[in-house]
Amino acid sequence: MKKSTEILIIGGGVTGCGILFDAAQRGFKTLLVERGALSNGTSGRFHGLLHSGGRYAVKDPVAARECIEENQILRRIMPHCIEDTGGLFVSAPSDPPDFGDTFAAACREAGIPVEEISVAEMLRREPLLNPQIRRAFAVPDGSVETWEACQSLVDSAAEFGAETLLYHEIVDVLTQDGAVVGAVAKNVITGQEITIEADMVVNAAGAWGGRLARMTGCDVTVNAGKGTMIAMNYRMVNTVINRCAPPGDGDILVPVGTVAVIGTTSVGVPNPDDYPIEDWEVELMLTKGAEMIPTFAKFRALRAWAGVRPLYQEKEAGADLRQVTRNYALLDHSDRDGVDNFVTITGGKWTTYRMMAEKTMDLVCRKLQTERPCHTAETVLQSHDPGKYFTVGQRLDKVETGQAEGQLICECELVTRPQIERRLAASDRNIINDLRRDLRVGMGPCQGGFCTYRVAGIMHENQNISAAEANKALVDFLQERWKGIQPVLWGQHLRQMQLDEGIYLGLLGLDKLPVQLSGTDTARIGEVETEGYFEIEAGDTPAPAGGSS
Amino acid sequence: MKKYDTIVIGAGLAGLTAACHLAQTQQKVLLVAHGAGAVLLASGGVDLLGYQPVDSLTPLDNPLAALPDFLADNPDHPYRLLETEQIKTGLNQFLALTAQSGLDYRGQPDQNWLLPGPGGAVHPTCLAPTSMIGGHLAADGGRMLLVGFRELKDFYPKLISDNLNAQNLGQKSTAVSINIPAPLAGQMNVTPIELAHAFEQPDFRRAVIASIKGHAKGYDRIGLPAVLGLEQHAEVLADMQQQLAKPVFEISTLPPSVPGRRLFDGLRRTFTRAGGRLILGSKVTGGAIEAGRVSHIDIETASRSRSITADNFVLATGGIFGGGLQTDAAGRVWEDVFNLPVRAKTNRHQWFDKKFIAPRGQPVASYGVKVTPQFQPINGHDQPAAANLYVIGAALAGSEWTRGRTGNGLAVTSGVFVARQISGERSVS
Repeated sequence: MKKSTEILIIGGGVTGCGILFDAAQRGFKTLLVERGALSNGTSGRFHGLLHSGGRYAVKDPVAARECIEENQILRRIMPHCIEDTGGLFVSAPSDPPDFGDTFAAACREAGIPVEEISVAEMLRREPLLNPQIRRAFAVPDGSVETWEACQSLVDSAAEFGAETLLYHEIVDVLTQDGAVVGAVAKNVITGQEITIEADMVVNAAGAWGGRLARMTGCDVTVNAGKGTMIAMNYRMVNTVINRCAPPGDGDILVPVGTVAVIGTTSVGVPNPDDYPIEDWEVELMLTKGAEMIPTFAKFRALRAWAGVRPLYQEKEAGADLRQVTRNYALLDHSDRDGVDNFVTITGGKWTTYRMMAEKTMDLVCRKLQTERPCHTAETVLQSHDPGKYFTVGQRLDKVETGQAEGQLICECELVTRPQIERRLAASDRNIINDLRRDLRVGMGPCQGGFCTYRVAGIMHENQNISAAEANKALVDFLQERWKGIQPVLWGQHLRQMQLDEGIYLGLLGLDKLPVQLSGTDTARIGEVETEGYFEIEAGDTPAPAGGSS
Repeated sequence: MKKYDTIVIGAGLAGLTAACHLAQTQQKVLLVAHGAGAVLLASGGVDLLGYQPVDSLTPLDNPLAALPDFLADNPDHPYRLLETEQIKTGLNQFLALTAQSGLDYRGQPDQNWLLPGPGGAVHPTCLAPTSMIGGHLAADGGRMLLVGFRELKDFYPKLISDNLNAQNLGQKSTAVSINIPAPLAGQMNVTPIELAHAFEQPDFRRAVIASIKGHAKGYDRIGLPAVLGLEQHAEVLADMQQQLAKPVFEISTLPPSVPGRRLFDGLRRTFTRAGGRLILGSKVTGGAIEAGRVSHIDIETASRSRSITADNFVLATGGIFGGGLQTDAAGRVWEDVFNLPVRAKTNRHQWFDKKFIAPRGQPVASYGVKVTPQFQPINGHDQPAAANLYVIGAALAGSEWTRGRTGNGLAVTSGVFVARQISGERSVS
């Protein structure tokens, strides 16, 4: 199979999606290729923080200014993806006492609206916070819904004719006379290959960008910096809470939907596809959480996940990843490596994706010797439900007033059967994880104990797939969830897991059922090494909301 | 302080079985529990042993004959403490108890029923209600019609039927979904329990039967989700079979389990009829072991904490799932009432396999209380921790049940064994 395009974008994180929309809006024929689902990598595995810039104000004023500028733009162009939680920087007893003044001055310098509030006022807003906290500063942080944002970018780009190929991995980049002329993408489900001819290839593969660049012979070092986060089963704050101290581990707590997410650690890992969550990270998050909220450990940890920050470096990485720049890098490989028609954009933050996309496309335009201005800062993105940030309360309202028809398939997240059926009908894949990302199926406290079986049953009834394929969808999803649950399994959550185990093994006998393998073979789950089933979704369990911090 | 002969802590299948048995031997018995056990969530069958080796894909026809091999592979499983005759006695006692409770359980220790499960896998179980035995997958050919309700989201007949057919078990099954008639018509979130109540209404039943009749031609038997009545289950089943003029059987659903509810209600009634006293909804907060004996336990009541004493105590509080064992983030595992020594690893990394469907189960599921051959918990010196304390069911070390399918079998056999020991009956051995 063959395709041709003007601009080929590799990587379906928020940066790639942003470039897709920017390029399409500038009138280019564009195609995005992503090896998993949208926002499957780092963009889907962060804590969901929309930075005000406060986190960087002291150490990296340039990044701080970029953050606040983009923060204000994103609030205008994607209001349905942003919850205006506001943020607080709080000085806990162990934080440096004089940091508050430095922080506030730096915020003002960077143009970040900052207001010191009294501790009494802080406790009025957030009663669970530590009363020993000495100072509190309010800034315009927010929380973002990454999947909705990426989908909106792709949908808006499609209005301009842009195409997106999901579940396709780039297996080769084609070069001719020192110039990139296209790439070969392989469907990770069917194995079919597509050759894509392109005038310009944009590498937006994030932490995987170094690997991709090497296919063209360019030497690009992108270090993978693992950050681990934990979702707690309760939205214990309504405001983003940051520690008023130099950036460190576990210094951010973000309310996301019905849960609160604490993050992160920062650990260099050699392979962006393989980074286990370690016990010390879990313990550290719980300890750090308790410094902000004394009752933190009394809440149930729902799941843990990690993302890999792409940290670009011209030279070899030093030991301390927090010293490596969080700023983006835009590389023109014709200047740098003598390879034409190829640019790499890497690093940066979720909050500044739009600006990175603009800069990337400005460079692409210069290289293609065409002048086409960027309009993404003024264009409100398309959404299915404009102007409305999703909350579980909206669903509850619809269910209670009888507007949401049909069965409640996922009781935790109030997902109905018609919602699932519509989503299934619109897709040619039968991957329950896609439903989780789009509809939040299986993301509540029971972690898919009941709804996964129901979804597999509905899939089987509606999608004309074999029982073995439905079984596989079920097994894949349970394994994917298991990876995220296992690091935080103790107490009540462990009891919950044993209920799920009782249902799926004791009652359903899933370990004895035939499962579809690739091609036409079936095997029973006990007969083969199960690792092979989970090839579609690499890495760890994604976050409830997402990007890179 | 009120004095009992025996206090049983925990109202799962192990606790209920032991309590019933003791109450019937003229003992003054108290059964105290925080909640109903896993019996309300499980299939309703008594699985003695379903697979050997536990990761085998072929269900066992004869569980008793496979027990020696199972114990060779799983030397820590509590079945090691029971002789064959004691296992037989336990299962037979359970059959007698269920018969007295108005429940029609059938089966024998050397034979498994091979029942269609709610995912279409074969569920090998030793004792089961007749309503479910009708689904036994003997290799006799035959055609089954599996009927589901569109409004019941916990039962997918097409998935069950296709999975059964794919395993070439000798039957050919077909699925059909029908709408639930009045008074539940249009209720899209109906539960198995609500449906079971509705099935006790003759008008409702008639309407369901009318819907099924159009599809039933040419089938040898008809399978439905296990919702065919609660108290009047026997009448409902008989009526369905008579009007459809075919055998009708039940397939278990996702929780809540209607057959589990029938079993719980039946045994509870038998227990109280035999003079037993039941306190449900009170947590046992602790117990005291003094001079080698349990002196009393403390229970929570609405107004205050109360101490109760007895000659003997039976701990049937379950494993981690049941709440008998507690765990925390620091890797601690402890028994919740007496803080008895527990066999467990304290490094959380060792609790789990990296696969959810681990071929031999999650290690954490085998953690539990170590006991003597008389099911008495042992202290640090391998001596009984208390002369009048016994442990049964899933609280026992080595009792992982999800892979070999041994859960209710252990509950029943250990429950009867301990009850007979306390009441002074001797096992035939």
